Parts: sequence; structure tokens; C-alpha cells
Amino acid sequence: MSLTEQEVVRYSRHIILPEVGGRGQKKLKGASILLAGLGAAGSAAALYLAAAGVGHLTLWDGHLLTAQDLEGGIAHDRSRIGQPRARSAAVALRAINPAAQIDVLEREGDVAGAVAGRHLAVASSGDWQALSAAAAGSGAGLILYGTHGAEGAATALPAGFEVPDLAAARGLGLFPEENSVPAVAAAAGVIGVVAATEAVKLILGVGTPLAGRILRYDGWTARFWEEALR
Amino acid sequence: MGGPFSAEERERLGRASVLLIGTGGLGSPVAYQLAAAGVGRIGLCDMDRVDFSNLQRQVLHFTDDVGRPKVESGAAKLHALAPDVVVESLPVAFTSENALELLSRFDLVIDGSDNFATRYLVNDACVLSHKPQVHGSIFRWDGQVTVFQPGEGPCYRCLYPSPPPPGSVPSCAEAGVIGVLPGFIGSLMAMEALKLLAGRSETLTGRLLIYNALDMDLAEVRVKRSPACPICGDAPTITGLIDYVAFCGGVSQ
Repeated sequence: MSLTEQEVVRYSRHIILPEVGGRGQKKLKGASILLAGLGAAGSAAALYLAAAGVGHLTLWDGHLLTAQDLEGGIAHDRSRIGQPRARSAAVALRAINPAAQIDVLEREGDVAGAVAGRHLAVASSGDWQALSAAAAGSGAGLILYGTHGAEGAATALPAGFEVPDLAAARGLGLFPEENSVPAVAAAAGVIGVVAATEAVKLILGVGTPLAGRILRYDGWTARFWEEALR
Repeated sequence: MGGPFSAEERERLGRASVLLIGTGGLGSPVAYQLAAAGVGRIGLCDMDRVDFSNLQRQVLHFTDDVGRPKVESGAAKLHALAPDVVVESLPVAFTSENALELLSRFDLVIDGSDNFATRYLVNDACVLSHKPQVHGSIFRWDGQVTVFQPGEGPCYRCLYPSPPPPGSVPSCAEAGVIGVLPGFIGSLMAMEALKLLAGRSETLTGRLLIYNALDMDLAEVRVKRSPACPICGDAPTITGLIDYVAFCGGVSQ
């Protein structure tokens, strides 16, 4: 995996960072990430992962894009209402980074198949218990994040993780099946970018990941705090 | 608690106007989020054109936009997302000559600039015009966010009374920046701006949020108005805009 001359210019602000360098940028180019969920938080995560130079992104979301999604789905636009959200976001991601391979998965179901071969799964929707089992089984890392109104949370499970007791994270209103309150998009953006940041760190193998901790954010008060995840 | 903005708050957002100084790394997520949230009028002030080296973090601009004025590229994305939003394209430098006139037409200012001269200019113009400002800055893996509301907390000069010596702080081009960093800081800035416009009281006014992405670490520092501040203190000595490039030692970057 090498970088073209144009990529060296495109990623020059990354390459100059000691934690990234040419070597790290090549790791991002060689990375394959499954991104499940393309609502408000997933939109932000998707745009930043594509911009960062992740070489292969698979977008997984079978919902059809609605006008309401546009109140926060910054990877979408009005002309694509009615399309599956994964397909709509893929249009924006390809425009940001034409060199990236952007695939789309629209059907629910085969979680193990969706995770197989990925370095990382980044999920704001889907069956988290099944995703954890599949990622742990295939040796992929996993990032879970969710929003509930202007509140959000995220955690990272680096490759080789033991399936955690996700029951500890229940009741926060962040599990996909729990979040009945529509997201406040800017707050969802904050959490979506946290997920993208953790993904970039895990691919690069730098910094301290959000492992064993759940970062929580309340947009109404602008407060962040942590809870343990075992 | 928990729910989205109320109908009344959304109506307020629809009547509100925001001036973005810079449509780069910080301006990108702010512009998207304000438009998506239904802010009525957004001014995009930026004289730069899109460059390849912007694309790793400035998600308002696409690969095909390279070479295009950033305000034009930005306006196109906002219209596609929210056709009702009024976008004012201002492809000009924000200077001591036009700052007060520009500010007079907007309710709130987002400082997404990348140099000290502009930060002091935005600050002084906001204090003199009595306009709230959401401030953010980024460097490598580190970022800061706060809100300056004249009369209700400190201003940028209370925190940083004098600029750093010229050449002592490297620019993004010299030091690098992780692409996701402005996404985080900019989304937080957007959330603070929306709360201010909606009339919510619990904002980052008087609180400086300090972020490190490498360790995913957040800290908060309380900051107070300085009675000795030359522009918002008890006996201000700055009563009009000055030459900010000269004030910052002759360098605008």
C-alpha cells in the first residue's frame, strides 16, 4: 500500500503529525471499516472517516431517507429523499474521497458476514450484542456510540476484546432499540466524531482509546463525564 | 431534558442569523449543523479557495471543489441540505474596515479563524458590537471551545491579554492537525451557538473546555472577566478597532 503524489498533498496535515506520518496514512488507506447506522451521528462519523483517508468503508443502513433525517443527517441531501440512507451517504463520501472504496449494505441480518474481513466495526445502530460477538469472533475492533436527544455516549473495544457486559450500558437510552427520542443533530455530531476519532486511533494504534470507559456528553449543559464499562 | 428543541425554540432558530468567520476545518461542521437545525440566515465569510490539503478535515468541500471559492462550495452544500436557509456568501477578508458593518447584520458570530490577528479582531468587534461569540481553536490533537458573551463573562482578551510572539506558534500547515479534531470542536461550537440562539442558559460562557483527542480527555477551566481587560474591563482603553496584524507582530498567520 503506497501513497500517490496527490495523496501526499491531500493528507499533508496528517503526515506531518508524528503519530501519523506516511506510515500511519498508509494504515488508514489499507483499513476496512463497517459503519452501521447513518442517522445524525453516523453521518458525521462517515464524513470524517472518508475525509481522513480510510480506504474501504462499508455503510450499513436499510432505512429510507426522510425529510426529518435531513434535520441532522449531514451526509445526506434533499435530492436523495426516499433512497436508502446507506446509498445516500455513499454519494457524499465518494465526492469527498473518490479514491476510497465505498460499499453499501441495505439488508438487516447477517451480522457475522457484515463484520467478516473488517478491521473495525463502528455502530450507532443494529444489534449490538450480535455485533460484539461477531467482532470478537473475527478479531475486529468495535466502537459503539449512540444518542438520545442532546445526550450521547461512545465506547471503544480494541481488537482482541472480550465481549463486555453490555447490560451495564443499558438504561442509558443509547442502545439503538432504546433511543426513541430524536437526536439533536449538533450533539449527535459531537458523539459521531468521537466515534470516528476512536476509529482513527485504533487503526493507527496511537493514544489512549476509550477502552473500558464510556464517554458521555450532555449537549444541554456542555458536560462530559465517564463511566466504567467492564 | 432529553428531547429536541421545542417548537418555540425552533421558531427562534428560524429567525436567527449567524456569521461564520472561516469555512474551513471549524466552519465546515458548524455550517452543516446550523443549516440542518434550521437557522434562518448564515453568512459565510472566507476569501480562500479550496485546496487539496483542506480535504482531510474540511468536509464542507469535496474533491471536485478544489480551486473553487470556499464560500461558493459551502453555499452549495447548505442549499442541498436545507433549501430554505438563506446563505450570504462573503468572499472577503474579515478586516477592521468591514468587521463592524458585517457584525451589525448578524445575531451571533462563530470564530473559526486560524490566526491570532483575526481572533483579536473578532473579539474586539464582538465586544464593541455587544454580540455573542462562540470561540474554538485546534492544534495537532488538541482543541479548545468556549463562549464569550459581552456583559456576562470574559472575552478572548481576558484569557489571552497579549498575542504569542510572532513565529512561536506553528500554523496547521507547519504543525499538522488530525482531521477529526475540527469535527469535534466545530460540532460543539454549533451546539453552543444553537443554545444561545434558542435562549437556553446553560452554555460554555465563563467555561473553557479543553480537549485532547489522543487520550480522549476533556477538562474544564472556569474563566472570569478581567477587571483590567483593555476592552471589556472596568476602564477600557480600546474603544475602536485597531491594526491587528501589527498588534500580533506583523504576521497574519
